[in-house]
Amino acid sequence: MLFESMRPDLLRFAQWLARDRSIAEDIVQEALLRAWRSRDALKDPAAARAWLLTIVRREHARLYERKRLELVCLDDAVDVPDSATSAAADAELLTLRYAIMKLPLDYREPLVMQVLGGFSTEEIARELELTNTAVLTRLFRARLKLRDLCGVSPAPGAAAREAPA
Amino acid sequence: MTCEDLRLLIGADPDSAGPELEEHLRGCEGCRAFREEMRRLNADLRRALDAPPDIRVARPRRAAPAWREYALAAGVVLATAAAIVVWLLRPTDTLAHEVVAHVKAEPESWLSSHNVSPGSIDHALKSSGVGLDLASDKIVYAQSCWFRGHYVPHLVVETTHGPATVLILRHEQVKARDNFREGGMTGVIVPAGDGSIAVLARGRGQVDDVASELREEVHWLPEPATIQKDHP
Repeated sequence: MLFESMRPDLLRFAQWLARDRSIAEDIVQEALLRAWRSRDALKDPAAARAWLLTIVRREHARLYERKRLELVCLDDAVDVPDSATSAAADAELLTLRYAIMKLPLDYREPLVMQVLGGFSTEEIARELELTNTAVLTRLFRARLKLRDLCGVSPAPGAAAREAPA
Repeated sequence: MTCEDLRLLIGADPDSAGPELEEHLRGCEGCRAFREEMRRLNADLRRALDAPPDIRVARPRRAAPAWREYALAAGVVLATAAAIVVWLLRPTDTLAHEVVAHVKAEPESWLSSHNVSPGSIDHALKSSGVGLDLASDKIVYAQSCWFRGHYVPHLVVETTHGPATVLILRHEQVKARDNFREGGMTGVIVPAGDGSIAVLARGRGQVDDVASELREEVHWLPEPATIQKDHP
């Protein structure tokens, strides 16, 4: 029941990783099944969200490694807001959402884990088996790429950095 | 803490805090502006990620008439030819600019302080067809980086004046020594055999001695087989 109540959160997280709703639903289904089988490993219910998000991420990674996922060509795809969100969505937000989807997985994954999942840099490093410096660099580059993809001019005095190749 | 260190932290996590960071921010207007910019971006990011992406594949467009395809093909050929001409005629100083841009894109390279294993150094050099008779305990960073269509060794060596970045450019010929200052770095590109070596230091660092020393120590190995690898 606790796990099931988190399904919308998990699905949103999986969708930002997989960029495909049906694949994300499969991932979440499999993750919930795994979580249920090993529910005894969860000692603290307050940690359930982070635990489940970790399982979802691993399930996505497993799927990604097992078979090369059919890639969504973003030039032919559009982010269609549903009627509930269209009223609130403005052009800048849609541009940013599109830019996030265009980020390579190496950058998108730690960013989504940090912003949406609430993971710390150290936790991301542990989970992705990277050094702390490597995670810092990926997050830094992800934000600069988003800034550039969205065509945002750097603030005066803050223009020193260039987007990494 | 330098501006570079701080921006890496803020760019990675705009809510980073700490006494050293705050002290730097009090005296650096540029970094304060950078933090504000990253915090604004982060707030937008939270809003953007709040709803799941909803991707629909756009309906295929109606096929264009055949003449339009020929016109498009001709346009592509002309544009490619123009790009090749521009590339061949590019001024030498763009090489310095691109070297600086590349080094700025790897800020973590300056942070390394541990010696790199001989195996990693060997890999970074040999995969680019480069040999270097330099004591490995001076090298604190070694990567094989994609630069202008080739993999090149990107090293950071410890010198008596601090760390210096070295890019060994087997495929870039320069006619003469080129000293430059750009992006808060001092650099020099010197001819070396059939290629060149770029050396950069932060601030007003010493690069000429390092470049001269490396010219004596670098040698070209037989060109490795082309590696079919995606551009990172």
